Amino acid sequence: MNRNMNPIPGTEPIASNSAPTSPRDWLDDILNSEARDERSSYIADAGFTARVMHALPVPLTLPAWRKPAIVALWGVALAGISLALPSAALDVVREGYRLIGAQPVSLSGMVGALLLAGTLSWTAAAYALRESE
Amino acid sequence: MSSPEVSDAQLIARALVGDDRHAFAELVRRHQSSVRACLRKLTAGNHALADDLSQETFVLAWRNLKSFRQEARFSTWLYRIATNCWLADARKRKEELLGDRDEALGEAEADDTMVGGSAHGDHAGSSALKLDLERAMAVLTEGERAAIVQCYHNDLTHEEAAYVLDCPVGTVKTHVLRGKQKLKLALAAWAPTET
Repeated sequence: MNRNMNPIPGTEPIASNSAPTSPRDWLDDILNSEARDERSSYIADAGFTARVMHALPVPLTLPAWRKPAIVALWGVALAGISLALPSAALDVVREGYRLIGAQPVSLSGMVGALLLAGTLSWTAAAYALRESE
Repeated sequence: MSSPEVSDAQLIARALVGDDRHAFAELVRRHQSSVRACLRKLTAGNHALADDLSQETFVLAWRNLKSFRQEARFSTWLYRIATNCWLADARKRKEELLGDRDEALGEAEADDTMVGGSAHGDHAGSSALKLDLERAMAVLTEGERAAIVQCYHNDLTHEEAAYVLDCPVGTVKTHVLRGKQKLKLALAAWAPTET
């Protein structure tokens, strides 16, 4: 192997792929010469790349109607439940409003929540970037 | 088509981030020759099988591109996948593989009467040596053959070969040493005569 061949006979490094038996190993010569010949001869593509690209898995693309269809299905399901159990649906809406909508929202609370969300987002982004490096 | 100055790392990034198949095609174009040559060597000259395994190698590379951590050169990583593909295939259909090779060698031998001769230097002698070397390589164990191909044919260091073969450096050195001992016995006719 050319990269590991030492020009000074008898001083081959231990890590060298050349055999340590003699300064000029005839088998090394044969293997190196063979490798040199084959490395110098480029194998023409001849449609190989096209075949590989054709064999790659098809990217998973979801149909355009999928998202609206799911939203519509959820809407239908919720409407169905509301119609079937009107009092329960009314209770859920009333309780939900009481929990979220009827809470007094102060300016400092909003600022605090925004700061918390921003800090969390930036921390997550910095962590993701560090991982991908 | 990418310009030649675009590095492998940039093409990989484009393939990963933007699912850019053109970038990956450029990587295939760049490395197909070396990967196919390596597999031709490992399959003892079975070009059809080598090309099938090369295709499998690149498809696996595409699927696992996210796991490529740039700890080795892209070509070395491809050699690793290629060697694994070859090992898996060789184990799966060992007898069939040997049958094809013997048949191919038999046909080649019928056309060439100078096998094992002493016609060093000329073309016939060179192809006879090639044939003898191919036959001798087929005698080696899978590990020995893979180690010799990585260290000599692919010009990798022992450390790089250890990464490709997924084994300790010491094992690579042992495989190379044992492989060379067997090759020396098999190719004794090509040893220079001592004067």
